[in-house]
Amino acid sequence: MSPTEATSDFEAVSETSLSKRERYRQTLDEQVLAPLRIVWSDWRARIALFVLSIFLLMGTVGVMLVPEPSPNQGPALVGAFRTLEHPFGTTYSGHSILSQLVHATPPMLKMITAGAVFTVVLGTAIGTVSGYKGGAVDGVLMTLTDVALTIPGLPLIIVLAGALQGSLSGNPYVIGLLLSVNAWAGLARAIRSQVLTLRDAEYVEASRILGVPTAEIISKDIVPNLMPYVTMNFVQQARAVIFGSVALYFIGILPYDSVNWGVMMNSAQSQAGAVSSPEAFHWLLVPMLAVVLLSLGLTLFAQAADRLFNPRVRARHTKTTPDEQHEDDEPDEPTPARMIR
Amino acid sequence: MNYIVKRTAQAVFTVFAVITLSFVIIRLLPGGPADYLRAQLIQRSGGSLTQEQINQRIASQTNIAVDEPLYVQYVDYMASILRGDFGTSVWYSNEPVIAVLGPAIPWTVFLMATSLFIAFVLGVTLGAFMAYREGSGFDVGSTGVSLLTNSVPYYVIALLLLTFLGYRMELFPTGGQYASETTPGLNLEFVLSALHHGALPILSLVLASFGGWALNMRGNSIRVLGEDYLRVARLRGLPERRIALRYVGRNAILPMYTGLLIAIGFMFGGSIILEEIFAYPGVGYYMIQAINARDYPVMMGAFILITVAVTIGVFIADVTYGWIDPRAEGGGTRESY
Amino acid sequence: MATTERLTATESTADTILRVRDATVSFEMDRGTARVLNGVDLDVKRREILGVVGESGSGKSMLASAMLDAVEEPGRLTGEIIYYPEEGEPVDVLNLSKAELKRLRWEEISMVFQGALSSFNPTMSVRGHFTETLRAHDADVEAGMERARELLSDLYLDPERVLDSYPHELSGGMSQRALIALSLVLEPNVLVMDEPTAALDLLMQRSILALLSDLQEKYDLTVVFITHDLPLVAGLADRLAVMYAFELVERGPAAELIRDAAHPYTRALLKAVPNLDAPLSTMRSIEGSAPDPVNIPDGCSYASRCPLADDQCLREDPGGYGAGPEHPVSCHHWRRADEAVPFETEVGE
Repeated sequence: MSPTEATSDFEAVSETSLSKRERYRQTLDEQVLAPLRIVWSDWRARIALFVLSIFLLMGTVGVMLVPEPSPNQGPALVGAFRTLEHPFGTTYSGHSILSQLVHATPPMLKMITAGAVFTVVLGTAIGTVSGYKGGAVDGVLMTLTDVALTIPGLPLIIVLAGALQGSLSGNPYVIGLLLSVNAWAGLARAIRSQVLTLRDAEYVEASRILGVPTAEIISKDIVPNLMPYVTMNFVQQARAVIFGSVALYFIGILPYDSVNWGVMMNSAQSQAGAVSSPEAFHWLLVPMLAVVLLSLGLTLFAQAADRLFNPRVRARHTKTTPDEQHEDDEPDEPTPARMIR
Repeated sequence: MNYIVKRTAQAVFTVFAVITLSFVIIRLLPGGPADYLRAQLIQRSGGSLTQEQINQRIASQTNIAVDEPLYVQYVDYMASILRGDFGTSVWYSNEPVIAVLGPAIPWTVFLMATSLFIAFVLGVTLGAFMAYREGSGFDVGSTGVSLLTNSVPYYVIALLLLTFLGYRMELFPTGGQYASETTPGLNLEFVLSALHHGALPILSLVLASFGGWALNMRGNSIRVLGEDYLRVARLRGLPERRIALRYVGRNAILPMYTGLLIAIGFMFGGSIILEEIFAYPGVGYYMIQAINARDYPVMMGAFILITVAVTIGVFIADVTYGWIDPRAEGGGTRESY
Repeated sequence: MATTERLTATESTADTILRVRDATVSFEMDRGTARVLNGVDLDVKRREILGVVGESGSGKSMLASAMLDAVEEPGRLTGEIIYYPEEGEPVDVLNLSKAELKRLRWEEISMVFQGALSSFNPTMSVRGHFTETLRAHDADVEAGMERARELLSDLYLDPERVLDSYPHELSGGMSQRALIALSLVLEPNVLVMDEPTAALDLLMQRSILALLSDLQEKYDLTVVFITHDLPLVAGLADRLAVMYAFELVERGPAAELIRDAAHPYTRALLKAVPNLDAPLSTMRSIEGSAPDPVNIPDGCSYASRCPLADDQCLREDPGGYGAGPEHPVSCHHWRRADEAVPFETEVGE
């Protein structure tokens, strides 16, 4: 193995002296540009990035451009796509649905972030510790995980929301956490079994023999290999938070302090009977379309991200390293040269 | 057998943990049910009830005797739940919780089991055909449709179905479990009416979940189709039918069995929202009613019932997996030569 | 073309059981048509053990599949393969109906693959594999299972225990032997084995080879044993055929070929294998790599790696020269091969 090749994943000390600049360039290429190239080469990813950017823009720039929703912005129950002023129509009390839609985006993004980050951090922490420590710690953590895995998420969330009715605030971060209360369990299990395999892998064994501290082994040798699981679960939980929050706002059991897509659907149904009356249907439809579009974006993103972690695909898109690897007789990882054969 | 013992212990422990959790939620959450009920009683009675009477009322509703030491409250609560005593409803004029929820259980199980079965069979069949015609227009189209339907939440589908098939075209009823003029029992009229009322909720769940099964089955089948044992089976002259069922089908479906475990929980969660949308008086419907009416005993009862149902479902699926997949047990006893 | 000498290389066909002529497997790629088996001629003789030796990727698995007309999509097999049963008309393997092909496979010509574990359905017991095979061929299941038990015993396996097991419960050596038994359950005459011992340890390889030799005698089998491991088959096979770059470059009686290999590639192969008797310094790996199946070069395909290569080799395809009465070789310079690639002396480079 040529010494330079080792830099790719494990950041081993390189014996050949690359200039600092060269090394930055290489890191940039491997860590940032190659993933971007892979993502861009896939049509699903392009659609996904497009959709997700729309929502990000809506949540950041959009709120500055579109006026805040207020009663009597227009006449009551204007249909969608009728006027330029209110492209998505208006509500029973004359709110512009576009305004509501856009101003509901930032809390939604906060909720998603809180829920997904919480899930990923807790799941990774529990899974890693459980797999790495083993013994009694493992036993206790995995029993807990199995219980959390069996308890159906939505009923638990509903019960907690119901029981906390008095004290729960509408803070989107808090709602995000509540909606992810037991979502970490699946990830913890997956991470644990990965860690168990990795723990006995030769290069981890080598680090241990060299006296590298446990914390460093976990962060340098093990965590990078868990990234695919973490990313997938992040996206999955983001979707779950969207689905769950909109559902619970729609049936009216979550507190809120700002407009939300689910709240819009709830009002459409309770104030104007949108399900049975065609004049109000757009009020219900527009937030539903937003949910579907965002969720579709995340699904496609997850599919594309899957390719991101496939080492074969990845190597094909890295520009700086292949030239060195060509001279290598027995590359450990699939290299372009090997794949052509 | 050891495996079954282990699994049983795990299921029992889960039920135990859920009841404990429910106790914590009722008793220990600040501003939670116990506190709320007390405040309600004091307010309603205008101070005419003594502390003791209030405690008694709370005890009969929630099975938690608040004036006892905490551990006694816990043990008593656990014991009464295990006896099937879930306390009494606040909203439904002090009826026992089990009398409110009991009749609703079969309806929820009916919805869930039917949707799960239809979605699974439909998804698996579609996925298998997609795999056999990998790369064809049919495959690409079906993959697209599966991806799309998989991204639409079941309640969005439910609302669309309710709007168009229920209200606009009036093809299906928009609420209830069966027409009031039929008499419940094993008669054709009643069964048809029950199916008619259940059709939209079931269709919502099926449409939202078959795509996931199909994509899963497609991937698994494509993997199995490339396996050596399939080639050997063909060389041995086995009939295509046997290869499709016993080789491709079985080996592709088995890994999805664990997915069923997750689906059971997901479906029961979904039932709460769906029953609310379709005004379908199942367990979930009463749960939401209870939350809105702050009828905590019914709410907690519904939660425990749903969770226990899921635990049993997962347990059955887990244990039967050992029977249908020879590799599930004794994987470590591989002999060396 | 060297037509004069080619005739001398024709083998007698009297006791031939399987005759392969101009067998070619090609498939379309983006870059052009790839030929992964290129005009192979081969006669398999009744009741012999024929060893086919070649590097991985030389096309030897394709040759094995071709003998049962079992080349997988998108590969296309052309040429002629004739099977001569002991009694009755010769069978044109490549022009059979579906039903006839089904009867040929497993009942007349059977096959064992590398990696027995992956040849079994993981969710079916070993017994299930035997009974379904018997049923698929309308054989008497009772009698067939009796034979299966006998075969398993012949292979030093406990029949009942193995039949009741699932594939994952068997060790590598056990499953490989069970697969051999499965391939013989319909009493075929020819057994084609594609690297049947590659995944096993040395001891298990040797013992399976010994058992194979016994089986061959007991059941009057013709065995085609395909491997990358020349010394492994050298002791077992009656005749050897050497493949290089999708073609057969040399074939002949095993002893003669080992002693007096006429093709520089065969000689290089023999030199490359670890031999306990030979000093380490005489062992060499073969330099260079096999050609691309899409652009098979004009002339000899081994020319780029051959120490004897000259203009003629690059220009003309070496036809069949006769290094002995039953020993055809595809090399213009076969007479000088022993000087160019000597066995025991050091190559000073």
